[in-house]
Amino acid sequence: MNAAARPTPAPGPAAPALAWRDAAVGYGDHAVLHGVDLTICPGEFVGLVGANGAGKSTLLRAVTGEAVLLGGSLDVCGVPADELSAPQRARLVGVVPQALPELFSFSAREFVLMGRHAHLGRFERADAQHAAVADRAMELTDTGRLANERVDTLSGGDLQRLTLAQALAQEPHVLLLDEPTSHLDLNHRVQVLDLVSELADGGMAVLGVFHDLDLAARYSDRLAVIADGGIAASGPPREVITSTMLRDVFAVRAVVGTDAISGGVTVTPVIRESVGVAQATGPEVFVIGGSGAAADLIRRLALAGFRVSTGALNMGDTDQAVADVLGLQRVDLAPFEEMDESDERRVGELAARADVRVVCDVPFGRSNVGNLRAVVKAGGPLVLVGEVSGERDFAGGEGLALLERAVALGATTVRDVAEALGAIEQLAPAATREEPRAR
Amino acid sequence: MSPTKTFGLLALALVVALVAGVAFGAVAVSPVEIFGAIGRAVAGAERSSADAIVIDVRLPRVLLAALVGACLASAGVLYQALFRNALADPYILGISSGAGLGAVLVLAATTGATAMRYGAVPAGAFAGAAATMALVVRLASFRGRLDTTSLLLAGIAISYTLAALTSFVMVFAREQMSAVVFWMMGGLTSASWEYVAAVTPMFVLGMVVPVASTRALNLMLLGDERAGQLGVPVERFKLIVLAAGSLLVAAAVSVSGLIGFVGLMTPHMVRLVLGPDHRTLVPASVLAGAVLMVLADLVARTVLAPVEIPVGIVTALAGGPFFVWLLVRQELGR
Repeated sequence: MNAAARPTPAPGPAAPALAWRDAAVGYGDHAVLHGVDLTICPGEFVGLVGANGAGKSTLLRAVTGEAVLLGGSLDVCGVPADELSAPQRARLVGVVPQALPELFSFSAREFVLMGRHAHLGRFERADAQHAAVADRAMELTDTGRLANERVDTLSGGDLQRLTLAQALAQEPHVLLLDEPTSHLDLNHRVQVLDLVSELADGGMAVLGVFHDLDLAARYSDRLAVIADGGIAASGPPREVITSTMLRDVFAVRAVVGTDAISGGVTVTPVIRESVGVAQATGPEVFVIGGSGAAADLIRRLALAGFRVSTGALNMGDTDQAVADVLGLQRVDLAPFEEMDESDERRVGELAARADVRVVCDVPFGRSNVGNLRAVVKAGGPLVLVGEVSGERDFAGGEGLALLERAVALGATTVRDVAEALGAIEQLAPAATREEPRAR
Repeated sequence: MSPTKTFGLLALALVVALVAGVAFGAVAVSPVEIFGAIGRAVAGAERSSADAIVIDVRLPRVLLAALVGACLASAGVLYQALFRNALADPYILGISSGAGLGAVLVLAATTGATAMRYGAVPAGAFAGAAATMALVVRLASFRGRLDTTSLLLAGIAISYTLAALTSFVMVFAREQMSAVVFWMMGGLTSASWEYVAAVTPMFVLGMVVPVASTRALNLMLLGDERAGQLGVPVERFKLIVLAAGSLLVAAAVSVSGLIGFVGLMTPHMVRLVLGPDHRTLVPASVLAGAVLMVLADLVARTVLAPVEIPVGIVTALAGGPFFVWLLVRQELGR
């Protein structure tokens, strides 16, 4: 039967592009995902995130028929997925897979024209109209100049953009992306995702699997998190990407911030959950930091199995964010709040309890000099990072005086974080140390 | 080289090869006499003995050679697309062992009635080939999917088993050993108009698939998954391709025994010249396969005349070094 002669179900304006309802999806008779409820409307860009092997690609494969729907329903443009013939589906759904197998030496142009297959009758040749669609797809993906190159000689990035062009040549209503930018350089990554965003604005429904959470958050209207055999969370990126979600789904303690330029969500992983920060039994190290001066040291101490506590830090400060995701004992201040006596007393208690104290290379002013006062008063082994000079003193001489006093009392001075780690290892009482945990 | 030019050259080569195939032999016949004999036969005029050589002996032989070559080459194209491997051979799934066992069983069963063999051996070989393919496909199908790796493994396993059975039968039919071995080496010695008539419809039927699905065959080269995403009903299509390829191989094997390398070499050579696009690969391979086979048979008949070498030996002698050359070329290309 002539494939092109079959009518493609007309996607009604009301019909969602993709709709899983209580769907179970898997292979053979084994369900990988259960109870999936997810609806993607024309014009929406939805990102799928989740750990490796969670079933993100399986969800996409349910649309293309490579995975089996074992329960519930899946509608593509208002038609049950299993009622679509292969060519009908190819006229509705375009896919950009992660990678293609070994390729034969077709020209890039022939390769993109292959996307027209489902629109052509059995013996029909691709005429000027079909060629124009392919050319437009190549123009959009910036692959026009490759037209006469052989695909088996191209780089992974060129091939990935050509594969997108091939999918666009299908003129699909739905675009499925499986790690669409894994082989792309920075420039083309932005270009491809900007293009896909534009297509979504033009009414295409886009569902993309992403490993890069920053990119996923920046481009998606909504994110769906796949975990524990189902959709664990779904909603606007800022609501979905939280340090709790990152810990539960990816087993990573990470700081969630805001991108200064785009205003999007940024994810900075700090430490893997399996390091077991909460169960650390090593010597306790007390750290005075601020403005990110201590973030790296804190992270590396935690990795090495030390218990870590910190002095007073303002909320919103980088060091505070790191201490927060690691669940460290510390004294929190409101943004721009100065330390008062009770804060200083609590800092003193933490400092006195620790086996080793570290003062990172931070300037001291009226708001935080209390940290320094408390740590010098606490006594015991102390490591000072950075130069002891008046340049760090914004507290009318008290900061410098305290630093000099600490040196006089026998504090170890080191230049940077790496040396500080060495000094701490030496000062930490051997009896309380244990082997660093597996990273 | 442009596809049109290649087709023209191949068509010309086929005509030349066919004429040469008829012209050379124990008695040489000039092209003028050949066309005269054909004209007289078509007109129904009385035939001379020279005419009989042309019409009853040489003509069916070269036509059968062309058909067998075209069948094997097209089957090679189909198998290579199915396995996404330019070095897949049409015998890769054990079809040759199945045909061999079928032929050997018939040969062993007809020791007292050699006259029966003329029709029974091809029938036995064809049945053996068909049964083998059905078994291999059944073994490799899992949950409605035909996995190409399973297909290969099943093919190899069945192939070895059937080869062992063939040897087993041969032990008990020792006096038939030379007939069996000769059949296995492949040859067109028993060519006749009846064989041409038997193979032609199978060739036409088998060719429907490669001719009507050139675009889908191209898509299969991108992998099953991608082909499906671009609109090929992959599982059904793989079965159809396999069925058509097997029909073509079985047709060829049943009348000519096991002729190696033609199905493997022809599409490969054409691809080197024209590229992987099946829109040109299919017709060019049909023509090239026919040319190669007619020429190989001509060599087999004439080079050591009056002794005739099994044509399978000629194709293997030419094909082996060709493969070594490919290998060296590939190594140097790196």
